[in-house]
Amino acid sequence: MKIEVQITPQAIEPGDGGTTDFAGTAGAIAKFAGVVRDEEDGERIAALEYEAFSPMAANEMRRILTSLAKRFPCLAAHVIHRVGIIPSGETAILVVILARHRVEAFGLLAEFMNRLKQDVPIWKRRALPLRKPAFTKPASTSRPPSQILSMTDARAHIETLVTPRPAAEATLEQAAGRILRETVFASEDQPAHDRSTRDGYAILRNDPSTTYQVIDTLHAADWRPRQLKTGEAVRVATGASLPCDHLQVIMQEEVERHGDQIKIGARDENTNLRKRGEEIRAGDPVLTAGARLNAGTLAVLATAGCVRPRVSPRIKVVHLMTGDEVVPPGQTPLPGQIRDSNSTLIRSWVTPLPADLWQQRLPENFERAKTSITAHLPQIENADLLLVSGGASVGDKDFTRALLEILGFEIVFHRVNLRPGAPLIFGVAGSRVAFGLPGNPLSHFAGWHTFVSVALARMTGARPPTFLQGQLATALADAECPRETLWPASCQPAAGRLELTPLRWHSAGDVSCLAAANALIRVPANTSALPAGATVEYLSITT
Amino acid sequence: MHILFFAQIKDAAGLAEWDLPVAGELTMGELWHRIIAARPELAVFQKSTRLARNGEYADATTRFTNADEVALIPPVSGG
Repeated sequence: MKIEVQITPQAIEPGDGGTTDFAGTAGAIAKFAGVVRDEEDGERIAALEYEAFSPMAANEMRRILTSLAKRFPCLAAHVIHRVGIIPSGETAILVVILARHRVEAFGLLAEFMNRLKQDVPIWKRRALPLRKPAFTKPASTSRPPSQILSMTDARAHIETLVTPRPAAEATLEQAAGRILRETVFASEDQPAHDRSTRDGYAILRNDPSTTYQVIDTLHAADWRPRQLKTGEAVRVATGASLPCDHLQVIMQEEVERHGDQIKIGARDENTNLRKRGEEIRAGDPVLTAGARLNAGTLAVLATAGCVRPRVSPRIKVVHLMTGDEVVPPGQTPLPGQIRDSNSTLIRSWVTPLPADLWQQRLPENFERAKTSITAHLPQIENADLLLVSGGASVGDKDFTRALLEILGFEIVFHRVNLRPGAPLIFGVAGSRVAFGLPGNPLSHFAGWHTFVSVALARMTGARPPTFLQGQLATALADAECPRETLWPASCQPAAGRLELTPLRWHSAGDVSCLAAANALIRVPANTSALPAGATVEYLSITT
Repeated sequence: MHILFFAQIKDAAGLAEWDLPVAGELTMGELWHRIIAARPELAVFQKSTRLARNGEYADATTRFTNADEVALIPPVSGG
């Protein structure tokens, strides 16, 4: 049977797979096209994305066809499988079978499709949802939310939906601050040889001689292997590689030297050496994937000779600011205006990270904001993480949600049962993620450390920050709130342990308390007061 | 050993290709053990995932060496 197999990102045309071979011989041409439907799991979709392990997939198809040809003797089989993004209505697979009679053509075709779906390494990766019609504000923003997520559930959604960015190789200089994405194994023993930890004389362990002939002198960089005999000694410096196994080093303080002869006074059990492989054995993992590359971990990589580790890439962050009432910090606010602190907050959080930040102010008017967005579309669509400050609530001018939707983001949630910062929007578009942060500085503080940090950890492959337990230094008096609260606090060592002092804040607009805040205390819903000394959960904040 | 990840495994691992140095000949079970030791996040895939060695599905008799290209094949869904 003549077999032809293609895996291609190109569209499959209706006439593809046609042939004039076997004209006159082929009495049956069975043609099957698998077409992408416009719904998947009950959702309207625009396209499906396919991925293939192409060389193996092609071989596997040939193997299946060859084996089926024994049961269904056909003349020819031509298979084209498309990969990549395939819009609904277009063909994902085309199979054309030529045979003398219809029975074997139908048999081969049906059985081939069954086997393909079991064994051929091709995957439907994801369904691309149908984009909402562009530039319309969905009615849903003005509706009360159907379901409000708890903070824990919201964090879990982020953890599930944000996936690690593809790892990239970096030099050790570039890798600082990144997350190691491979486990690095030692290529050699560390130390590579038995090494002396003293200045002294190496002799055979348990050599009972009293006087020894000094036959060599070894410094730290020397490598002259030789088998020592009874009565022989080698002068060694600290760090020197010993010339053979089963030696001990006698400290020079215990030795009397005359010319090339030494006499050993006291000797103890101590061998005074670091054994080969004592620190790390060749093939042992020296650092596991997920490690944050700081001074210590980078030094370990350098020692292991891993100079181009695979690490998390730099994250591209775009920050859009909304709100006409906000003026730049250098400007005196007119009545009704306030100075912008959010762009400084975001910049201060992003700058220490291996990330690139681009910030842009948007006009308050939705139509003008869209024009501005269109002008900066390449920048915005290139971002791994899109942050929008303000406009997250349900007021007339709050268009963040609509803006994210026209940028292709699917909104996962737009409210969290949390104070401060409840109107928090989280959306995903493929591997890109977006947050709409409520405009108040305290909401930014809580939102960044509670939610954005989880997304950043997932993107880079780090462990997301978790809540710790600590004790209250002073009582926390709160009016009972039906929402869970994140209370800014100062976490300080006191009497040998860490204590949390709740800071004063009145509304989410408070900025002053941020100067001292290095923790967020989690106050469960409907808590009126917590006494000093009470154990609480808190999130530690280092930036 | 050069290892290839696809589909959901690629997402979980965060990369498509990975070099895992191994010594000697490994059985399928031993190889999985090495993979999971280095990448615990892949443990959940072991039951459903087949291994391919140099482009062909492996079976219980297959032995893997450092020179092999090994693909982790999660359940397929082509067509």
